[in-house]
Amino acid sequence: MVKYSTRKQSEITSSAIALCDRLLSELEKGRRPVLSATKCSLDNSVYTPSIGYLTPGSKRVQSELNVSSVKKISRSLFMLEILLRNVNVGGINTKRELYYISKGLLKSNPLIKPLDFDDQVESDATIDFVCEILECYREELNCFANDRGGQTYSQHLIVTETMPNGETAEIDLSRLGTSPFMPKNRPQNLTLKAKGKIDFCLVLESEGTANTLVANGITKRHPCIVVGAQGVPSNAVRGWVKRIQDQLTVPIYFFGDLDAYTLQNIYRTLKAGSASSLIRNKDFSAPDVRFLGVLPEDIKKYDLFHYDVKMNDPSEARSLKKAEDALKNDPFFRSNRNKGLVKILNWLIESRKRCEQQSFFSVDGRDPLIFEKIIIEKIKSGSYV
Amino acid sequence: MTNSSSQITKSSTAEYFAKNLQQVGFSSPAKAVLTTLKEAMDNALDACEEFGILPEITVIIEKKGKGHLRHTDRIMIRVVDNGPGLTLQQVPMVFGEYLASSKFGRGRCSRGQQGIGISAATTWAVQTSATGARVITKQKNMKKALSCMVITDLKKNQGIIKEKEMTNWDREHGTSVEFLIDGRLQMNGEGGILAYLRGNILLNPHLTLKYQLPDLAPTTISRVSDIVPVIPPSLPPHPHTMKLGEFMSHARLFGRIKLSDWLERGFSRLSRPEITAIVKTSGYKASLAEQTVTSLTAEQLKKLFATIQEMDLRPPATKSVITIGEEALSLSIQRLGQIDYFSVVSRRPIICDLKPVQVEVAVARLQTKGGDSDEAVQVLRFANRVPLQFDRASCAIIKAISSVNWRAYNLKQSKGGLPSGPYIIAVSIVSPFIKFKNASKETIDASDELVEEIRAALMKAGLKLSRHLKKEHKERELESKLQHIEKFSPILVDTLCRLTNANKERRLRAENGLLKILGRDNQETVKELQAAEVKLAAHLSKQKDSLVMFNDEDKQLMHHEEELSEKPLDLEEAEPKKKTKKAPAAKKAPAAKKKKKK
Ligand SMILES: Nc1ncnc2c1ncn2[C@@H]1O[C@H](COP(=O)(O)OP(=O)(O)O)[C@@H](O)[C@H]1O
Ligand SMILES: [Mg+2]
Repeated sequence: MVKYSTRKQSEITSSAIALCDRLLSELEKGRRPVLSATKCSLDNSVYTPSIGYLTPGSKRVQSELNVSSVKKISRSLFMLEILLRNVNVGGINTKRELYYISKGLLKSNPLIKPLDFDDQVESDATIDFVCEILECYREELNCFANDRGGQTYSQHLIVTETMPNGETAEIDLSRLGTSPFMPKNRPQNLTLKAKGKIDFCLVLESEGTANTLVANGITKRHPCIVVGAQGVPSNAVRGWVKRIQDQLTVPIYFFGDLDAYTLQNIYRTLKAGSASSLIRNKDFSAPDVRFLGVLPEDIKKYDLFHYDVKMNDPSEARSLKKAEDALKNDPFFRSNRNKGLVKILNWLIESRKRCEQQSFFSVDGRDPLIFEKIIIEKIKSGSYV
Repeated sequence: MTNSSSQITKSSTAEYFAKNLQQVGFSSPAKAVLTTLKEAMDNALDACEEFGILPEITVIIEKKGKGHLRHTDRIMIRVVDNGPGLTLQQVPMVFGEYLASSKFGRGRCSRGQQGIGISAATTWAVQTSATGARVITKQKNMKKALSCMVITDLKKNQGIIKEKEMTNWDREHGTSVEFLIDGRLQMNGEGGILAYLRGNILLNPHLTLKYQLPDLAPTTISRVSDIVPVIPPSLPPHPHTMKLGEFMSHARLFGRIKLSDWLERGFSRLSRPEITAIVKTSGYKASLAEQTVTSLTAEQLKKLFATIQEMDLRPPATKSVITIGEEALSLSIQRLGQIDYFSVVSRRPIICDLKPVQVEVAVARLQTKGGDSDEAVQVLRFANRVPLQFDRASCAIIKAISSVNWRAYNLKQSKGGLPSGPYIIAVSIVSPFIKFKNASKETIDASDELVEEIRAALMKAGLKLSRHLKKEHKERELESKLQHIEKFSPILVDTLCRLTNANKERRLRAENGLLKILGRDNQETVKELQAAEVKLAAHLSKQKDSLVMFNDEDKQLMHHEEELSEKPLDLEEAEPKKKTKKAPAAKKAPAAKKKKKK
């Protein structure tokens, strides 16, 4: 393994050690140390249209050292030590692997046995807590989730990846055959280059539909990038789309189902981040993304198949209820900037209808390219929000 | 026998019972073993009590191969006591003759009542394995012990002694009785041998019990009290507890006696003024009281009886019931196993359905490994200190337990059912006249009055228990905090020192600092705990003060406390409690009265 850490990582390391030093000094003085972290919740989320993503407000959570927190803090320091060691030697692990690493260490040392984790939920929470007090990303401590989604297809994109040891690798997406490119781990290490002019980037909620579009030749006919989000976008997808936004000047469109869940959970997260990741939204959201559909007017225009929301299905009903909440409490939807989206949400709540992205295939069952045609038509005619 | 169907035959008492052993506890192989043990042990306990002897009883049960009946084993049951022993004349009567008893219908709280049990066991032994009761017995004045086999002559309802022998026995006095019967050994469960023994252990603090049972290590449970309970003498009947027929035949028992003397001596709670009033109210001349009872007409007796029933008499005395007492119960319950804590309540004897009754309750939590189980609590029921082990469903005790809201005392309970968890709830009912629901005497009749009385006892026990629970909870919390500090402090300092590369001096200072910080937390907890204890003590003494002599107030107070402690649970129960407003008034009432009295 090659010793490697980014500049950001050495900053984190020294601030972690400074924090430990402060804790120790306070203990020496018999004072009660207090750890403080940004409060990551909707009520501490700020949305400024010019910034475009959710940023943290001024609220903080304080954990002072006392009888009930001594275990949690001891565990966090134990985990911090593992993570810093990883950063120091360039080791990389998933949360699950870190769980087993901890279990191994705890087993071999009876002195620290009391810290033992009962299950991965506990070790995951400890990792998250460490990141919160250090105000850094998990990835910056070399802990990577097994991120899903982000399959990317293009005939016009070249990605240069900088490896941990400083070497670079170049990936020409047009030479991957039918395989997609998967933006893993640290999108920040990827540099993008366009081969010629790229017209647009299309992020689809359904990875299956993305694959269909590509198989039918959309990337051959149009200079574009097609990304499959695979549901609620993972960190990798969010970081990757943000990368595309920053490094290529192409319009990015999101296309998914017309329902409250897609708008609120999937689209809002992609565009402005989430409340639970306030400290990382800066690098993990793409404020320029636009909502291509399905739009309420598409239903009429293309006579799309659609459904009534099943109010007796608890998850669908809950989704509508959450949409109402969002209109009231989510600073993203309360901003004037997103009036168009609010209109859609209101339409969803009032009409209690929903329409799936695949319904475009119903427009002409005999034309396999109908979906692509409508997408292109919508982009050209500015039919998006 | 060929013509028997056309003949009317008169069978002896013994023959009747021999054919109907299932009615007296021999209805199944498992029950046969339990009943045999029970009859022998009850007798041993009764005999010791009668003679003021501290009982030391040994129970030995062994399997001796397959039984003659299908699906049975041959089982040997031996019960040895240090009781008074029996004479040569008594032995065949006791073990071979039905209805031969020294306790028959005496209105006392002894275990045996009719003299059926032990002879039935002998009959079962004769029927299933062609042996009888093997008896060794010795009285204090005898040099040698009498050893013999007793069998029953069913035709004559007589015991016959065989293999008689005088032997040396290394004890001053006592009786050993041994049966070899076909049966099945059921150790566990409500109807098991162990439940019977545990029941006796609990209710007889003065008993030392040794037992050797198959597959279990020999066990000795030592006595925790040196007081032999004295069974109070029986009292003459209270006239209100009698039916007309009983009243009339009672009149004949006394021979030529003056009416006034008969009423005075033959009954409880009738004295001269009452008797004068009875005669007058019945419309007779005062001179009637001077006539002999035998000279009265049936008409006159009926009239007198009717008058008495209408009169207000003092309730019967409660002197005839036997009490175990809270102190003895508290010691005894700790013999039932590893017990975390317990609470006992001994109610004052009261009159219930016109009969004196005393209810005593013990609740204990067994130490368990792992969490609380969802199994229903173990219920131990007793009538006159005899464990009741069958037909519990409609028993007054079970009804009372299910009617209490145990959740208010931090026990788990499904609505209307028994509470669950590793608890024992023991309820003892003592009365010279216990009303059973059926002939097998396993179910106490659930009259409203009795259920209410048991309920009151249970609620008081529950209240005491929940205090234990709360206190224990606090203590656990404190203890886990202390452990917390001890466990995590060194780890925390260690890790910090490693991460910062700190030297020894820093480490030492930090360790001390941390102990100081967490120690402060700790002191606070201790203070909190102390404050809680002071509050609890104050509360308890206040409660003692207000539990004055009046049973009803006592009940009211407890209703009130139950309501209070139920409050947090109200969320679950839809109906709002209107009573809560009234309750404080009910609580204040006794205190206010007391002040006035002073
Ligand atoms: N172990 C014993 N020691 C002394 N006396 C006994 C013993 N067992 C029985 N007896 C006497 O024999 C009598 C008859 O016993 P039993 O047939 O069981 O009837 P009960 O117990 O109902 O009186 C008892 O009343 C008691 O006087
Ligand atoms: Mg008996």
